[in-house]
Amino acid sequence: MDLWNTFQAFTPQLILIMFALLMPLFDYLLKDKRLLSLIALAPLVEIMVTLIAWLFLGIWTPKSQIDLLEFNTFSGLFMMVFIAVGIVVVLGSPEFIRPDRNQGEYYSLILLAITGMTLVAQATDLIVLFVGLEIAGISSFALSGFRKSEKRSAEAATKYFIVGAFSSAMTLFAISLLYGAVGTTSISGIGEAIWSGSSWIEESQPIILLGTVLLVAGLGFKIAAVPFHMWAPDVYEGAPTPISALLAAASKKMGFAALLKIFMFSLFFIKADWEIAIAIVAVLTMTVGNLIAVSQTNIKRMLAYSSIAQAGYILIALPVGTQYAVAGALFHILTHAFMKSGAFMVVAAMGTVAIGEKLDDFKGLYRRSPFLAFSMTILLLSLAGIPPLAGYASKFVLFSSAVYGSFDPGPSWLIWLAIAGVLNSALSLYYYARVIKYMYMEKGQGGRIKVPPLLTVSVFIALAMVIAIGVYPDQVISLCKEAARIAFPLLPLGLP
Amino acid sequence: MLEGIPIISIIILLPLIGAIVALCLGRHEKYAKWVALGFSVASLVLSALVAVEFCVNPSSSSSTGFHDGGDWFDYQFYESYPWVKSLGISYTVGLDGISLPLFVLTTLLCTLSILFSWDTTTRPKEYFGLMLILEVGVLGVFTTLDYFTFYVFWEVVLIPMYFLIGIWGGPKKDYAAIKFFIYTHIASLAILIAIMAMYFESGAGTFSMEAIGTASYGRTFQIIVFGAMFFGFGVKLPMVPFHTWLPDAHVEAPTAGSVLLAGLLLKMGGYGLIRVAIPTLTDGAMDLQILMAVIAIVSILYGAILCLAQKDLKKMVAYSSISHMGFVLLGYATFTQVGMVAGVFQMFAHGLVTAVLFMMCGVVQHHVGTRMIPSLGGLSKKMPVAATMMTVGFLASLGLPGLVSFAAEFMVLASMFDSWSLWLFLPIISVAITAGYYLWALQRSIFGPLTDKIDTSHVHDMNWYESVPVGLLLALIAIFGVFPLLVFKYIDPAVTIVRALLGVG
Repeated sequence: MDLWNTFQAFTPQLILIMFALLMPLFDYLLKDKRLLSLIALAPLVEIMVTLIAWLFLGIWTPKSQIDLLEFNTFSGLFMMVFIAVGIVVVLGSPEFIRPDRNQGEYYSLILLAITGMTLVAQATDLIVLFVGLEIAGISSFALSGFRKSEKRSAEAATKYFIVGAFSSAMTLFAISLLYGAVGTTSISGIGEAIWSGSSWIEESQPIILLGTVLLVAGLGFKIAAVPFHMWAPDVYEGAPTPISALLAAASKKMGFAALLKIFMFSLFFIKADWEIAIAIVAVLTMTVGNLIAVSQTNIKRMLAYSSIAQAGYILIALPVGTQYAVAGALFHILTHAFMKSGAFMVVAAMGTVAIGEKLDDFKGLYRRSPFLAFSMTILLLSLAGIPPLAGYASKFVLFSSAVYGSFDPGPSWLIWLAIAGVLNSALSLYYYARVIKYMYMEKGQGGRIKVPPLLTVSVFIALAMVIAIGVYPDQVISLCKEAARIAFPLLPLGLP
Repeated sequence: MLEGIPIISIIILLPLIGAIVALCLGRHEKYAKWVALGFSVASLVLSALVAVEFCVNPSSSSSTGFHDGGDWFDYQFYESYPWVKSLGISYTVGLDGISLPLFVLTTLLCTLSILFSWDTTTRPKEYFGLMLILEVGVLGVFTTLDYFTFYVFWEVVLIPMYFLIGIWGGPKKDYAAIKFFIYTHIASLAILIAIMAMYFESGAGTFSMEAIGTASYGRTFQIIVFGAMFFGFGVKLPMVPFHTWLPDAHVEAPTAGSVLLAGLLLKMGGYGLIRVAIPTLTDGAMDLQILMAVIAIVSILYGAILCLAQKDLKKMVAYSSISHMGFVLLGYATFTQVGMVAGVFQMFAHGLVTAVLFMMCGVVQHHVGTRMIPSLGGLSKKMPVAATMMTVGFLASLGLPGLVSFAAEFMVLASMFDSWSLWLFLPIISVAITAGYYLWALQRSIFGPLTDKIDTSHVHDMNWYESVPVGLLLALIAIFGVFPLLVFKYIDPAVTIVRALLGVG
């Protein structure tokens, strides 16, 4: 019985790992390498269907919770984000990597990275969390260096590896400190121990504090929060474009999943000091990201800086610290995953027909490929938070939580987080609108381009989700509120 | 006749369908104008029907979809459907006396602008598609009764206008388009924050304007939030010193774009003030009354003085909008029945008049090749119809009695005298300046000897698709100038409610 439970909670990972290990075999057997992506798609779609059946349709409810892994709305929501990005990326890959060798390994690594991410989403224990971070991390290092003969790609992989190793070391050290102080690695266990307020805990307060700070710093690298953001633009620029999408849209969200879990116990601890520090980091992250994005001429770097800025918006939820704010963060994580992966896939689609990644290359895209230009416009407007698109709905929830936080439970300076957020949105509109201007208002060179069909589908999924969630956000908002309630039952609701 | 039909939603939906059809025409894009005209005329006809069906005194008869707001506005043609239940957001639309004139103005100006752009050949399917999307946004703003939907429609308006300026605009279109987009977006964000604050402070758990409008708020809260809204709506109005986006956007926009920008988008600011800001945050409005009046008078005078200095005909008309929209704000700031009714009526009047002026600027640009006043002169000899229409338009704008602007501006000034007696001398100076710059511009461009600075041999008179919209607008200007009561009777009961909410009625 126990074994069966373990098995059930671990099923998604098992399926993913199985396919990941089989991919090289299929690579050997199949002549048409494009079929590989369809095979890699199978487990992702299977898990996605199960998740939708559970979260949205309520056909089925997972019962299993074992010691190290949990299955609740919170982890389910994150898994959905990772799997959805996985689907978009895998669908868009075959045409992008057509000239490359070792395609089987490519899909293996993607599936493994997603396995790691789902582990992080489900982890109830810091060790499992760390293992998940590492599986995802090591797979993504290899993926960003996939085109190893290309200098940029190799450089990106090296940089990413060094930074990643450093942040892993910090995270692991932090976990060991916490274990030393509290005597357990279970996340809820640490929370309870700190809550109990025993004399032992009182004495080891400095260690717990140091552990928490190091943990946040280690995860700060993962989410590329200022001042730990330097690696992101280089890596996103150098990595193959579908992998940039995976990193920006999914890998980063894994950092948030971990950060929110840490937040569950640190919340009880020295909360007042935390709030201001994280608030400053949030405002810095969004401002620095947006300011630097303005001056970028490479579209992938611009998107990288924009995703740094978006991480800043999501961080708003932590100092506000209400269920509604966490729901806003989850919602923005979900919408950002679609917006960013979609935008990167547009760049990837242009890459397959040998159009560059410079801003100038977008000139007159409207004539060359109306579909790509239209999709990019919608995705960028959504990133800027223009209604009625998904990015607006999620920013609305996020920023309004800060407004309410400043009235009721929290200190009144929280309103400045909302104001910083909207001013940054206006700033970001400048560089998004510039891309739109290049696509529609400038004359370009070159004739019509033919976008590969699978990439079209991949971009279309992201586009459709951005529009659908924007027009009808009700169910998703309910789900995010539910997830926040389950994960943080002790937080104030944050709604009148 | 319209009972049980979701008529407002249909009117909003028609241009949207039209836009999608127009954008999907593919290679047959030369039919885009017919599609656009068809759908906008359908909206116009239906909205005219709504205006006829609208019952001025609803309590005396059973009116279509009547919603009794109690202390709040009474709406007709009321529809409400839940949208985002988890946050209390609904799609609710309805019309009352304040929104109805602007609603009809929208469908009218959109139809005429589409007709006026009949010869657009560059990317016609996008051009007409975007015009229709713009119409959807503006119609939504004027009818929605839910703050969240209000903001959505409010922002939807920006995108087509950004493209209209950026693609079909004049030489400095890049700069003008992005400046318009970001400037007005920042203003919208101030409104967004204000909406969030009211949503939470009211504790109603819904974004319904009625629920939020009838809740009570603390005084400091009201002043801060009203300040934010005043800024947000004031930028759109525009008021000095936040007017600098306007000349750029108006001058660079294509003619039809300028018509819609000045005729409708500016009205959104004035509408927002009287629909949500003033009646909801009454204490805040009362405390900032003097500020509103001062900004209004500064806008009136400053806009007028700037007009004197303009060499570009279109830029002059653009600056005159700042001056004329100042009257709207001044009317509101008096908080008198006459003043507020006149403020709303001035929006309607300015919408008609400024459309004529921008169309005439477009005609001059199109046929003569330049709008610079020093190069023009004696055009009446070459294009008599245009000269006549332009003269009537200019006279209407400077407030000639018998034409529509006179009724509005005279009432604003009269109510100003009621409230602040002799301070009236400040805005009244503008009447002289306005007459000055319009007549001077007419004299230099239309009358006198034919110019020899430019080649006028090819200049011919207006085309049918130009003279029909202008002629129609001039007829309306005359009709409503003689019978302003036709519109007053709609506005009057609604303004009574605003004043009752303010506690001055």
